Amino acid sequence: MRIKSFLQFTIAALLLGASLTPVLAADATDSNVAKAQQMIEKAEAARKQAASVDGEWRDTGKIIDEAKAELAKGQVVTAMKLAAEAHKQGVLGYQQAVSQRELKMPSYLHY
Amino acid sequence: MKHFFQKLALLAMAGSIAISAQATTPDEDLAAFRNFFKDRFPDVPTGEYVNGVYSIDPVGRENWEAIEEFPPYEPFIDDGRTMWETPFANGKTYQDCFPDGPAMESKFPYWDKEKEMVITLPLAINQCREANGEKPLKYKKGPINDILSYIAFESRGQITNVVVPSDDPKALAAYEKGKKFYYTRRGQLNFSCATCHLQNAGMKIRADILSPALGHTTHWPVYRSKWGTVGTLHRRFTGCNKQVRAKPFKAQGEEYRDLEYFLTYMSNGLPLNGPGARK
Repeated sequence: MRIKSFLQFTIAALLLGASLTPVLAADATDSNVAKAQQMIEKAEAARKQAASVDGEWRDTGKIIDEAKAELAKGQVVTAMKLAAEAHKQGVLGYQQAVSQRELKMPSYLHY
Repeated sequence: MKHFFQKLALLAMAGSIAISAQATTPDEDLAAFRNFFKDRFPDVPTGEYVNGVYSIDPVGRENWEAIEEFPPYEPFIDDGRTMWETPFANGKTYQDCFPDGPAMESKFPYWDKEKEMVITLPLAINQCREANGEKPLKYKKGPINDILSYIAFESRGQITNVVVPSDDPKALAAYEKGKKFYYTRRGQLNFSCATCHLQNAGMKIRADILSPALGHTTHWPVYRSKWGTVGTLHRRFTGCNKQVRAKPFKAQGEEYRDLEYFLTYMSNGLPLNGPGARK
């Protein structure tokens, strides 16, 4: 009985693994690739917007390049993560620069 | 009533962190700058700040004084002297561009009314080269540092005296742009130049002590042990911006020239003592 249960469990586990494998390996479908491409374009737009107000961060461009490289290798999920990070940096860089538009002297300087 | 006072307290706290800039003159800025360091380091004479972090770091100073016995920037001075004395292909020399040279560093940076821009010494050197049919030198690494080292060495003892002419509002605008750059937070780490070199001057950043901004421009170019060579002030600006994870600007571009204009003004009255050696 115990051996039977063990065999049933093993077969179930193998079947489950086999069914998941196509899902994990299938990140390079056309729709996912298109979505990753859109995210990269959005990140690039955010980077340019930050650059337009001298607010671009050091690594944003490099991260976008890495996203493109990962997408070219078929690593769609990784590409998406990188694109999301780059987009976030572009948005934050823009917000930072805009928030600093007016000169604010530190209070520890006494006039 | 309790909520009203709570809100008032919050507003007061927010106001104490940063205040919008009111119009101040460059001399008022300089006075506030100096007074900050007088209060922060009351035992350090103003003239000592030309030695950078070694004005406030006694252990580092001991090492630095040992290095200065055989300064690592000496070969660069010699190479710079050779450059100065070697005629261009057309027979002219740097002396023809700079009759007061080589001891002329105190004349820079200055506001050029005709060109409506800040002229720095490296920029002027390349203007001279191009006017005489020579290729311009790169602004961060390489032979620009040789000739700058020679000029800095010959100019030792001259007093920093940047002028913001009162008859040209564009000069003041350039100064103000440099000042704005200095106090603007940037990069992923959200630091301004002032965050490190005023607010936290004397504090440690990892294993290093942050140098005070007063006197920052007197000792360039600098042999940095980290670089293993002499580098320019704008190379350091680039590095600092990268360190706070901001995309750096172009060496000798408008942003860094205006920044140099402001920062050098903040060292007015201090003697030049370049080239320097630093960690």
